[in-house]
Amino acid sequence: MEKDETIEIRWHGRGGQGAVTSAELLALAAINEGKFAQAFPSFGPERRGAPVLAFNRISNVGHIRVRAAVTNPDVVVVLDPGLIYITDVTSGLKQDGIVVVNTPKSLADIKSELSGPWKLAVVNATVIAREALGIPIVNTAMLGALLKATEILGLESLVEPIKERFGPRAKNNIDACHRAYEETLMAELSVVGQGPRKAFETERLLSWQELLPGCVVIEAGNAKQYRTGDWKSQHPVWDQQRCIKCGICSLFCPEGCIGQNKEGDFEANMYYCKGCGICARECWTEAITMVEET
Amino acid sequence: MATKRIGMEGSFAIAEAVKLANADVVAAYPITPQTHIVERLAELVANGELNAEYIPVESEHSAMSACLGSSAVGARTFTATAGQGLELMHEVLYVASSLRLPIVMTVANRALSGPLSVWGDHSDVMATRDCGWIQIFAENVQQVFDLVLCAFHIAEDPSVLFPTMVHVDGFHLSHVIESLYLLEQEEVDKFLPKYHHPYALNPDKPVTIGAFGPPNIYTETKKPQDIALRASKKVILQVWRKFSELTGRYYSPVESYKAKDADVLLLVMGSFSETAMMAIDKMREEGQKVGLIRLRLWRPFPFDEFRQAVAQAQLLIVLDRALSFGGPTGPVCSEIQAALYPLETRPKIISFVGGLGGRDISVPTFEDIIRRGMAKAKQGRLDELEMIEVRE
Ligand code: SF4
Ligand code: SF4
Repeated sequence: MEKDETIEIRWHGRGGQGAVTSAELLALAAINEGKFAQAFPSFGPERRGAPVLAFNRISNVGHIRVRAAVTNPDVVVVLDPGLIYITDVTSGLKQDGIVVVNTPKSLADIKSELSGPWKLAVVNATVIAREALGIPIVNTAMLGALLKATEILGLESLVEPIKERFGPRAKNNIDACHRAYEETLMAELSVVGQGPRKAFETERLLSWQELLPGCVVIEAGNAKQYRTGDWKSQHPVWDQQRCIKCGICSLFCPEGCIGQNKEGDFEANMYYCKGCGICARECWTEAITMVEET
Repeated sequence: MATKRIGMEGSFAIAEAVKLANADVVAAYPITPQTHIVERLAELVANGELNAEYIPVESEHSAMSACLGSSAVGARTFTATAGQGLELMHEVLYVASSLRLPIVMTVANRALSGPLSVWGDHSDVMATRDCGWIQIFAENVQQVFDLVLCAFHIAEDPSVLFPTMVHVDGFHLSHVIESLYLLEQEEVDKFLPKYHHPYALNPDKPVTIGAFGPPNIYTETKKPQDIALRASKKVILQVWRKFSELTGRYYSPVESYKAKDADVLLLVMGSFSETAMMAIDKMREEGQKVGLIRLRLWRPFPFDEFRQAVAQAQLLIVLDRALSFGGPTGPVCSEIQAALYPLETRPKIISFVGGLGGRDISVPTFEDIIRRGMAKAKQGRLDELEMIEVRE
């Protein structure tokens, strides 16, 4: 970091993945180094799997006064590969900014999906987390990737905050962090390109003139528009050979999004499937497998 | 129109108005600090004179919550409360106004504890100033009856749809017997249109009310709410005009008494204004150019009417019946100051607080307030709040 610099970071994750914890650990580490730092979440409805944001500001100068979300970040960290397709992760990213992405894809594949005047850093944090921690919570791994890509702090500054936060699980988290640091690959993005394929349109927000008295919603059943499909980091895949068409999975699906297609095969509607895995758990013939989103 | 003047307690006059308005639902908590209003309504429902659902709930919070539900299905809904009861409703008051549910409620204005007090003043009202309801003050039992009837008409107007409070000073109006003219049922039926909420809950035409408002929409919900509450004044004026055509009794947002050529004006809200009139009369006889301003419409605040009413005066003396602890002046007076501040020429303003926790203000005391106000203005002591008649 330059002497008089303030770096702004935006974390994109899903409820339960630890984006907020990442931001908090980073700020604590920066403050331990004698820097000034902020970490705060974007408060929303708390739901596992739903897209969430967290923010950091880190400064060498002094107390950080601004208390508003980071809209023009220097760095964006994406904890879940699927988020690239459902939210505009590079929105407002500064020229020469850095995008740090957790993805099982190769550097070349991601380069073909993202374009702009930015640097790219990729790491397969999910695999690292599974191996180091036994669970796919990637926050500490992504901290390693972030430090590799930006060098805003020394890797060792994270050790104390991680120890304090994770206690007996600290060692594994430090391992995940170090391993991600080693395995993170960097590239320049090309300025022109197609941008990522977008799975869904972004919704338009209503103006005050469009709201009815008392904010009543007269469109009955409009919860149908609600894209719970945005929440998933895994999706179910059916082995139709094993399936005996008992329908148990469809009864247990909390979204009610499993049905039979024309051929009579059971399948899930991905607009609503939130990747909870209940169907796979309840299927007694083990015909359903949960597969990571890419 | 009923031509016979009859005697009736203020609370009973309110119950009579609610009966004539044919309210569908009355939900109320029946114990202190409740008044005879709901007691009488319970009787009217029990003996079949009023065909309404009477819901005796377990608290004022529940009373207002029950009112939300009944108003939302399109039922004409009434409740009454007072003092601490109003405070216990506080949270739900905001829900009623933001859901635009035209509940009518009378508040028998009382002091707040502690020390424990159930006696009259305006502390309860002032704590609900910003809850988004239309708020109207009555000064005598006739007005109480009239204004409750008008309140249903105003609240339920399709362009208004705001809950409405009629403030009835605790004891001074709720528990006093005096005379009034009632109205015949046919007259009320002609005056008061049927309540029809355009988005009432109905299983055949489902709607969602009370959805949550995250930061990306909450501000957009508040702007139209504020605009609509301000705009409701137009309907309030229309309804009061229509009522005067029926009864010959006129109401306006700001009312004056001997104020036209007055250099010094006293401002009072609620039932004490009539006592204050006596003091004005007396001082007029002595040749003093004094007059009285009564703020009838508290919300939406009638800026134009108010500024016009005080434009000619040199001095405006404001009597508050509540304190804003540690605040600039009494709560009404600080609003008055704010309303007049943008004007190039405006009267000097002097703030008094009195009539707290059930203490009366006599005619000589009102005279004294006016005289002291005039003296303080001469001495330039404009930045003091003075509590009257505090024992040393
Ligand atoms: S529960 Fe398993 S076997 Fe039954 S329908 Fe679903 S996938 Fe097929
Ligand atoms: S994972 Fe299975 S149970 Fe869960 S939402 Fe998707 S289809 Fe339904």
